Amino acid sequence: MSALRLLSSAARRTPKSIPLGRRGYAEVADKIKLSLVLPHQAIFTSADVTQVNIAAATGDMGILANHVPSIEPLRPGIVEVIESGNASKKWFVSGGFATVHPNNKLTINAVEAAPLEAFSAEAIRTNLAEAQRITAGNGTEEQKAEARIELEFYEALQHAVATK
Amino acid sequence: MSAATWRQFFSFNKYSQITASALRRSLNETERLAAEKRGTTNVRYQNWANGEGGQQVVLNPPAETPKASA
Repeated sequence: MSALRLLSSAARRTPKSIPLGRRGYAEVADKIKLSLVLPHQAIFTSADVTQVNIAAATGDMGILANHVPSIEPLRPGIVEVIESGNASKKWFVSGGFATVHPNNKLTINAVEAAPLEAFSAEAIRTNLAEAQRITAGNGTEEQKAEARIELEFYEALQHAVATK
Repeated sequence: MSAATWRQFFSFNKYSQITASALRRSLNETERLAAEKRGTTNVRYQNWANGEGGQQVVLNPPAETPKASA
């Protein structure tokens, strides 16, 4: 009898409905706080944005509000920031890390980044040819490895600038 | 970057610096001047013995005329 009373009083103490986090698929009301920082410049500092598209080493991904915490190394590629509506801004980053923190914050650390308009197609073409020449030449393996890194970089950059 | 053969030669830091300087070299003229300054590093060292500093040596001295310094 006392066990039953204990049980019923326990039932009265539990809340009638456990509040669930409201979560839809198409809503854009939630924003994520983005900090896009370079060693010499902070492009965004805890700014509310709707979506951030990044080029992670494991593939392209889009980060929305309340994303699961993760750490992603970035490959040389475009970071696209959609602040609100359909307007988006793009930067080409040389590489770095994107970290989603548990409290709905996204930090992107890059060594160098620039908007796509800041690049010169001519310079990219020249650099690409130079990197190809070194890769196919007869320098040391280390020089060739460096040239191969640059080759990947220039190809990605050329593609990004051409299809902006 | 993921299936990387450069890892046998370089650390990740070096890889980051290689891609960063590649980016700086691809900017258009106006931006590049400011950016190139970010890529330069200068090293100056000095040996100390018995509480006295020896000659200050600049590694890879710049081509321009250096300012008079102590």
